[in-house]
Amino acid sequence: MPFETVNSKVVRAHVSPGTPVLARRGSMLGYSGQVAFRPVHGQGRGIGGMVGAAMSGESNPMMATEGTGQVLYGHKGLHVTVLELDGGAPLVCEADRLLAHDATLQTSVQFLGSGGLKSAISGAMTGQGLFTTNVHGRGAVALLSHGGAFPLQLQGQQIGVDPQAYVGHVGQLTVDLAAKVGFRDVVGRGSGEAFQLRIGGHGTVYVQASEKKF
Amino acid sequence: MTYPPGNPYGQPQGNPYGGQQGNPYGQPYGQPQPHGGQPQPYGQPQPPYGQPQPGYGQPPPGYGQPPPYSGQPAPGGQPSWQPSTLNPHTLPDDDNVNPYVFCIALTGGEWFMSKGAMLAYYGDVRFDAVTEYSSVQAWVASRFSSPVYISDWVVAQGHGKLLIGDRGFDLNSYDLDDGNLTIKASNLCAFSKQLELKQSIVPGFVTLIGTGKFIASSNGPVIFVEPPFRADPDALLGWADCPSPSVHHDAQWMTQNLRGMISGALGRASGEERQYDFTGQGTILLQSSEVAREDPAVLRLVESQTQLLTNSQAGSLGQRLIARAQQQ
Repeated sequence: MPFETVNSKVVRAHVSPGTPVLARRGSMLGYSGQVAFRPVHGQGRGIGGMVGAAMSGESNPMMATEGTGQVLYGHKGLHVTVLELDGGAPLVCEADRLLAHDATLQTSVQFLGSGGLKSAISGAMTGQGLFTTNVHGRGAVALLSHGGAFPLQLQGQQIGVDPQAYVGHVGQLTVDLAAKVGFRDVVGRGSGEAFQLRIGGHGTVYVQASEKKF
Repeated sequence: MTYPPGNPYGQPQGNPYGGQQGNPYGQPYGQPQPHGGQPQPYGQPQPPYGQPQPGYGQPPPGYGQPPPYSGQPAPGGQPSWQPSTLNPHTLPDDDNVNPYVFCIALTGGEWFMSKGAMLAYYGDVRFDAVTEYSSVQAWVASRFSSPVYISDWVVAQGHGKLLIGDRGFDLNSYDLDDGNLTIKASNLCAFSKQLELKQSIVPGFVTLIGTGKFIASSNGPVIFVEPPFRADPDALLGWADCPSPSVHHDAQWMTQNLRGMISGALGRASGEERQYDFTGQGTILLQSSEVAREDPAVLRLVESQTQLLTNSQAGSLGQRLIARAQQQ
């Protein structure tokens, strides 16, 4: 377990020569031991990934933490959730939300536009733009959320999630934007819940306890 | 010498949020941490704190049961409590009302308070600027020997209950027993008159010396670590007993990151270029994020230091500062 939660907003990473950690730049709070930080440019693999990262804004500046020691990470007082990925399905989330992860994990940028107009709109609604980040492999990820993220298990059923409260998901899930925009929404008398993400399949959806985007 | 982080929610016994499975802050601070595995002097149980307050102690119904997501990583819950109406008799004496509000019991004595920290008060309390007050009682001024900060502080005096808070940050009280603790000036909310405040050599920090109580805010819970440790200057809350830190520049980071090199040369840092390096024996206090409040006194402090410059040096500094201001 490379990440240990110190409190709800800080994780402690145990870095050793075999297990470097990638973290958001500027998120280091302090460290002990012989640790060096190195900026990492460009996420994703291959030219597509680089171009995607450059185009999409899904190129959250990251840095590698190498050496031997213990490093504390936290960002802007946001809550931190540590997930263990088993190497099965990737974690799908926004690049902004990645506080730190094992360097063995690979990130790639996914273009939502290939799913048609609907997925493009859903990207726009969740604030993700037309791109989202996939985290592949086996290891631990520390995710940021405003107000703490909680996992919702899905076993074939479907749930609706407020696009602003959606953090990410793991598993065989389909994410679809349901828009129920009627006359009342147009004149400003809507419920404010006209847009929802309809998520179905088998897996876990992470939802934050706030509709605030950071 | 003890600095118990005088917080009612860090201790297992008499936890006002009793019955909850696990501390809302994940790991109770003030407990021995794996970091260094030190026998922490400030982790001692402190009887006066954490006693259930009237109308506050019982966990609300349906609260003691484990949350539906128990066992999952970091539910990250905000501590929740039943809102109860408080009055002067039910307000605690010199203790946290909740993690974000602290109640000081004034019984004729004086407290130094940061301007703007007062939320509300019961009773007959007077607030005087430290500068005015010092002319009346010279000894008070002798407790506050920091001209840079004197205009940001007031003296609260009288009888009553005084509630203080700071931007919704977590508040902790600390007891100094013939000790010294250096803390970020913008995070210090109040201190009792028995303590003496002095300006630290490190800009933006003040040192409290003596025996008494003070209250400081932090963005998120406070983390205690032991040297050797390097801290992000923005996340650093303070330190006790150890020598003043030195500045460590990460050469590797600066050579590999041009931007980092430039901003490092300008003294600006995201934390990776530049850290405060602590050595020796002592305790370091960190807050849970790098969110720091702008400290107006730092400007005055730096401005006073520019007297060291010659006129031409001051001119070139001015040009660089203008360039920086336009960049942002």
